[in-house]
Amino acid sequence: MNVDDQLTPALTLRGVSKRYGPVVACDAVDLAVRPGEIHGLLGENGAGKSTLMKILLGLVHRDTGTILRGTEPIEIDSPQVAADLGLGMVHQHFSLIEPLTVWENVILGDTGRVDRAAACAQVEQVAQRYGLPIDPLARVDRLSAGERQRVELIKCLRRDPSVLILDEPTSVLTQAESAELFTVLRRVVQAENRAVILISHKLAEIMAATDRVTVLRRGAVAFHGTTADTTAQELARQMVGRDVSLRAEGAALGLLPVEPQSPAGAPPSTDPAGAAPAADPTTPAALRLRGVTLRVGGLPVLDDLHLDVAPGEIVGLYGVEGNGQATLGELLSGLLVPDEGAVEVGGRPVELTRPGTLHEAGLGIVPEDRHHSGVVLDMSVAENLVMKSLAGVCTRGVLSRRRMHRIARRQMAEFNIVAPSPDTPLRSLSGGNQQRVVLARELSAGPKALVAAQPTHGLDVGAIEDMYVRLRQAAAEGVAVLLISTELEEVMALADRIAVISSGRIVGVLPTAEATAERLGMLVGGVAH
Amino acid sequence: MSAADNIATILSSGARLTVPLAFAACGEYVAQRAGTLNISVEAMMLGAAFGSIAVASATGSATIGLAAGALVGVAVAFVHGNLSHRVQINTFVVGLVLNALVLGLTSYLITVSTFTGHQVWQVSVPVLRDIPIVGPMLFVQRWPVYLLLAVIPLTWWLVQRSRWGLELRAVGENPQAADVSGIHVNRRRRQALLWCGLLAGLGGAYLAVGEVGSFNQNMTAGRGYLVIAAVIFGAWRLGRTLVGCVVFGLADAMRLALPALGVTMNSQLLIAAPYLLALLAMLVFATAHREPRALAQPFQRGTT
Amino acid sequence: MAAATTVAAPPTGPSGPDATGRRLLRRLNPGVGGWQVAAATAATVAVALALSALLISVTGGSPTASAKAMYQGSMASPAAWTTSLLYVAPLLLVAVGACVSARSGFFNIGQEGQVLIGALFGAWAGLRLALPGPLLVVSVLAAAAVGAGAWAGLSALMYRFRGVNVVVSTMLMTFLAQQLVSFAVNTPWLLQESRLGRGTLSPQSNPLPEGARISSLGEYPNLQINGGLVLAIVVAVVFSLALARTRWGFRLTMTGLSPAAARHAGVRVGALGGMALAISGGLAGLAGALLLASPVGTNRLQPGMSLNIGWDGLLVALVARNNPLLAIPVAVLFGVLRAGGSFLAATGVPPFLVDVVKALLVLAFVAPPVVIGMLRKRRRAGEPATTTPATDPAVSKQDAMEGSLA
Repeated sequence: MNVDDQLTPALTLRGVSKRYGPVVACDAVDLAVRPGEIHGLLGENGAGKSTLMKILLGLVHRDTGTILRGTEPIEIDSPQVAADLGLGMVHQHFSLIEPLTVWENVILGDTGRVDRAAACAQVEQVAQRYGLPIDPLARVDRLSAGERQRVELIKCLRRDPSVLILDEPTSVLTQAESAELFTVLRRVVQAENRAVILISHKLAEIMAATDRVTVLRRGAVAFHGTTADTTAQELARQMVGRDVSLRAEGAALGLLPVEPQSPAGAPPSTDPAGAAPAADPTTPAALRLRGVTLRVGGLPVLDDLHLDVAPGEIVGLYGVEGNGQATLGELLSGLLVPDEGAVEVGGRPVELTRPGTLHEAGLGIVPEDRHHSGVVLDMSVAENLVMKSLAGVCTRGVLSRRRMHRIARRQMAEFNIVAPSPDTPLRSLSGGNQQRVVLARELSAGPKALVAAQPTHGLDVGAIEDMYVRLRQAAAEGVAVLLISTELEEVMALADRIAVISSGRIVGVLPTAEATAERLGMLVGGVAH
Repeated sequence: MSAADNIATILSSGARLTVPLAFAACGEYVAQRAGTLNISVEAMMLGAAFGSIAVASATGSATIGLAAGALVGVAVAFVHGNLSHRVQINTFVVGLVLNALVLGLTSYLITVSTFTGHQVWQVSVPVLRDIPIVGPMLFVQRWPVYLLLAVIPLTWWLVQRSRWGLELRAVGENPQAADVSGIHVNRRRRQALLWCGLLAGLGGAYLAVGEVGSFNQNMTAGRGYLVIAAVIFGAWRLGRTLVGCVVFGLADAMRLALPALGVTMNSQLLIAAPYLLALLAMLVFATAHREPRALAQPFQRGTT
Repeated sequence: MAAATTVAAPPTGPSGPDATGRRLLRRLNPGVGGWQVAAATAATVAVALALSALLISVTGGSPTASAKAMYQGSMASPAAWTTSLLYVAPLLLVAVGACVSARSGFFNIGQEGQVLIGALFGAWAGLRLALPGPLLVVSVLAAAAVGAGAWAGLSALMYRFRGVNVVVSTMLMTFLAQQLVSFAVNTPWLLQESRLGRGTLSPQSNPLPEGARISSLGEYPNLQINGGLVLAIVVAVVFSLALARTRWGFRLTMTGLSPAAARHAGVRVGALGGMALAISGGLAGLAGALLLASPVGTNRLQPGMSLNIGWDGLLVALVARNNPLLAIPVAVLFGVLRAGGSFLAATGVPPFLVDVVKALLVLAFVAPPVVIGMLRKRRRAGEPATTTPATDPAVSKQDAMEGSLA
């Protein structure tokens, strides 16, 4: 037992396990969170963090193990019970209901009579106590990302939780907003003796903001200790289960320095060995965005966006989530048409109102949310591989299953797609293999340019490495690669140039060699509201 | 008869024809705000109309019949709610099947049984009923009409002011977010359907034991769909929905009254008018985000 | 996880027709696992039949006598089969159309109205065009299909340009169609019957001329196979093949499963969905033409002549799980129930019983796969988490624009 004895933990988990069929999501997890501390919960995607939190929140029921609040064992049957027990959660993606007002959202999940005046007063009071200014009468769909997070925090804090759980809270925040958030959390912990669990896959964040840290690996606790006594390198090793030496891995784990005082041992940010060949500035752009503007309800989501990507070059488009990247990804998938501006592929403007033209022009895309537009889960692997180039498997409109299978087998072998057969429904493949299907389809079409939007979201380290290798290889073969990412480390590790997007505009482009975390951070935050 | 008398007649008959629609529309409005595009409102009304007459005939009391009709509506809602918000069968499929089932069942049962007619009593307010034109419309009606006048503000209060209504709206707009806030999404949707069943039941029962005093085969004849049209016409606001009901009721009254007045007018157009108006309303207002965002989307925890 | 992988096709020749059929089924019902669903369906069907029997006995009838009467009216003799099959043809046509629209994700529930519109256009062609025999039949069918197809296409246009929900608009248009037909047969200069001598005019059209009617094939004693049935079966087979084996079918299926992925892959989602709706309406219109021109009715356009074939055809497609080939036996079952129902009156049981049986049977067939699929999903729920879509203001705009862009 790692639990220190001098202090009764606010929340204790003993031997909590949860399995889904043959998959063990949580394997005898022990966790003790003390009042007055920020406890980091670190792990790769799929390590069991979110299952564990769903158990604490009453969304999932554990198979075995005990949960203690203080010294008393508790059963968490529903989110309602969790809230009553003093467990509050701030979700990664907001759990706010947009057409409702701030105060209505805040009291959602309470019981008893609705008292608008009291609710508003309480919102204002909590807002004031923690320095989270907000108008209780505002409709949530009119608020910015930072303001929405404040509403989430207020919603949570007003219930006076003894344990506050934050799931990847900084993914939508600028560095300045993140810093503000951690200040609030410090106040919550020190002044009010609450416990905070901070779930993150970002090492730097865990190192900077937490008191103690627990690392999960494949559902089990791999490490537990005081943050000050460990190093980022050590945590990374515990997270992956072996030494982390590869640059790509380092980037995948967030080992590059984000803060100037960040841990020793991290690879330097400008490592020429790992960089892709620099592009010749005289070659014409394979992908060019010219003044792309797209408005929603009169407000520009993409605002006069200009960007060039030369053949053989990787350009990283870096920014905080929610600054137009998703919209740009949809636009380059052919799902949205810009109000103004043009997209050029291989020097020619593409007619965007007709579907499929981007693909015909030679633009491949690995979309951000592959389940939305990248793949059809209920179709087979083979069908997913050929869906964008049906001409190759059809004779006068009639499908040839034989040709489809031949193409599928070849691509499955080439891209290491692990599936029982080409006829396996895509749904039953792992996330990494699904992503390989997308990449195989897009690269097999011989694109001039490839857009990879958050290509490593939700993948484990092995699959991330694989993705990086493929992207570098594509660039080496002369493909122009546009990497849209919210991960600073990923962009720094892969890109030749970095363009920073904020509020739908490119606010700066600089060669990776000249980019530092601070410069990028200032660019990201400078223009944001 | 004077012109004023004619207008009074049409208004009063329009009011009578509006009542069943308005009852059911209050229910359908709640169901749709919670995210169920409830087609089985037709089954609820038809089943209730039959049930009310059957029970009124058995007990001799039209009022007990009316209550029984409401219960039949609730029973249909219970089946619908469990099939589409527990077992997760597509809500349109459930609605279509329930409509077919209730139509078949009531048609069958009315053929094999005979019922005596019953009607709920009429309230006629002295003096006030003599106000020209609007007097008969407002002050000579059967008592459930005055119940309706209580149901409307109650429904508004429930949806807009009560905690239940807040949760209901949350469930209709964003079930995932409502779920993590600790709201039982499918339970709220089932409850909204039950409220819809209760009111659609009252509306259907009013058709039988209120206006006519008997039941005939396929008595509702598509009034349930009219109710859906009214909610759409009303752009998911209670007030506008009720305006839609009044317009539809008046159109129906005019259709019935005009031939007697010697006015030739296209009755098909009047019958079709409500549906046409609902379609036009959708065409005009479609792009504004008025409908509940999760309307007709099933919710199951664990699916994004 | 285990459930999904065990369903995977065996390694032997995966491209045979059987494999295609299995694939199709699996795709339509992710999580259908053979015998469990079959056993559950057998049980629910038994319950449905038991409930029907209970209803008969409670109301003083005899379930066995009713069953016997239904059998006699629908299957006992060639003449009975003739009646059943006359219903099968329009039911099947409506069902195939419903399969196509449901597979495309543009769910059409307005077949009842489309059947009427088809009959309206068919009647107009049959009564107004002076063409020689076979050409007249063809033009009746063509006018019905095109007219009803265009009618259903209106819903597609309303969706494309104004984002009007297809289910709602097709439903509302059903009632417009009913009044349109009523208007046509009540208006002398349109299709109301012509005055012969005295007497009041009925709201109906003149009977279709002999040359515009669909004749039966072959000369079998008592058993007549109407041309409409052949047409319906050919349509079912053609659409089954088109859905499973052609690029069009691939795109249609993809659109139904994921409109965003389909558009991304170059499919004009709105156009394809509109086409599916038009086809669905067109086939319902053909069914209307059969009701008008085959010996199932009076060969006149009448307001109530759709006989709920549109609603029933939709139910056939639901039971057949949107598979046009499976729709053939299901349509036969529904046709048999209809024909048998008219014989029920002889036993003192109202023919409406058939509607009850039908609705219960639909539930009995539809519920088990959903329930079993849901139980399985629940068992697997929350497996290695999938990524949640990011919150971005454009997402809602994209939803609204989906139709208008394609």
